[in-house]
Amino acid sequence: MGEVMKYIICVVTSVFLLTLSSGCAIKKVEAWERGDLARTEMAFEPDAQQAAYRSHVYFSKEASSGGASAGGGGCGCN
Amino acid sequence: MSAGNGQKKKASRTLIALAGSALGLPGISGKALAVTQGEAEVDYSYSLYQEEDMPREKQSGATSDTERYTIDTHQLRVVRPWGDTYDLTVDLLYETMSGASPWYVLPNPDPNQSEKPLQVMSGASGIEDTRKDVLAKVRKIYDDSAGAVSLGYSTEDDYTSVNMALEGVWELDDKQKTVTLGIGGSDDDIEPVDTHRFPGRVEHETKTSISAYAGLSMVIDAQTIVQSSVSFTRQNGFLSDPYKLAFVSGTLVQDSRPDGREQFTWLTRLRRFFPEWLGALHADYRFYDDDWGVESHTIDLGWHQNFSGQLQLIPSIRYYTQSQAYFYAPYYNAPRNDNFASSDYRLSPYGALSFRLDAVKKIGTWAFRLGWEMYDSDSDLAIKSVKVENPGLIEFSNFRISISKYF
Repeated sequence: MGEVMKYIICVVTSVFLLTLSSGCAIKKVEAWERGDLARTEMAFEPDAQQAAYRSHVYFSKEASSGGASAGGGGCGCN
Repeated sequence: MSAGNGQKKKASRTLIALAGSALGLPGISGKALAVTQGEAEVDYSYSLYQEEDMPREKQSGATSDTERYTIDTHQLRVVRPWGDTYDLTVDLLYETMSGASPWYVLPNPDPNQSEKPLQVMSGASGIEDTRKDVLAKVRKIYDDSAGAVSLGYSTEDDYTSVNMALEGVWELDDKQKTVTLGIGGSDDDIEPVDTHRFPGRVEHETKTSISAYAGLSMVIDAQTIVQSSVSFTRQNGFLSDPYKLAFVSGTLVQDSRPDGREQFTWLTRLRRFFPEWLGALHADYRFYDDDWGVESHTIDLGWHQNFSGQLQLIPSIRYYTQSQAYFYAPYYNAPRNDNFASSDYRLSPYGALSFRLDAVKKIGTWAFRLGWEMYDSDSDLAIKSVKVENPGLIEFSNFRISISKYF
């Protein structure tokens, strides 16, 4: 499969999943109903310092990198 | 500034924070809500990363097991609101590394053991290095959006990196959706040590990287939120490992990789709170693909269980599997036409499983955390069968302790 085709498939799948998800939100979630969503453990990264550390460890020891952010520098990791 | 003004500003920040807790969405990065001003906090953590020894029987000519990497890491984070619409985050890191690292791989002299090549590690004294990293980020918060700029600098004995990033966050549809866009870049200098002892080793090289990122998060219902994002990175310059060698038809040559790499990542994350159990499920899936032929899948599942007394236990599990880079081989019977050669275990095909347990205890405005992780990589864990396992694959444990103070 061509590289470009793979990327297109991923982007299209993401858009499809999100569109599907939006269909699930039949009822709008009002501000006063968002107490559970505002809980610390519902954050995508509840502990940013730990997330940065783990991400660096995996990045140093695996061939893959990247996720929910842009930027950051390299390292001479052995 | 008068005392009255100071109190008004403090009250205003508190109002913003309270409104954020009630109205905001979990943030794209960091634990703060997306477009609410960060509350003042200071976090310190210490992590001990320790790789398992390299067994004697996996090495060539070794008389005993060899101690691999140990890394001590200290991290300090300070978040400070600035006026009513800005916040500033500074991350500092200091770490020391020591131990031996895989150097090159040799074919097994026993023809019956050809699928088990042997590892040669870096010298007995191993590697000693320190890394210092500073990252500063300033955010400007608007009514339904925020913009951030960050600047980072990292230095080691043989490596320097300067990086910067810009990020924008927009809330849409009455905060039902959040869009994030970001770009970033880094400019790195590589100056390997001991070049007088190893004449083939490069003395000075450079590398640049530019990345772009787009994400969309959506509230599904009052207990569920999903985020999906794609990112693209282009690296240029010296992407080889200056310390590693490869065995090519009887000769040891420097690790040599292409001078460009394009990486694509698709990450989807789900957070769902279960009120009946007072717990939250974290489910992440990441697909990665690059033009070196590496394709990987990562699944990360965690459960955040609340107990009385402001105690939280978080067991989690992570599965990772990758295919090999197209030019990788444990060793080469003949040179490749493009002359690339790398026996780095990180470019080999394998899978990895990680088990983690974290505990968080809050006491007033303080939070204490303990964390433990056990990581094991193995060719048997790969999603596709692997003919020859790289002997350098790692197993490590990680212990972490941290303390936070909120103001």
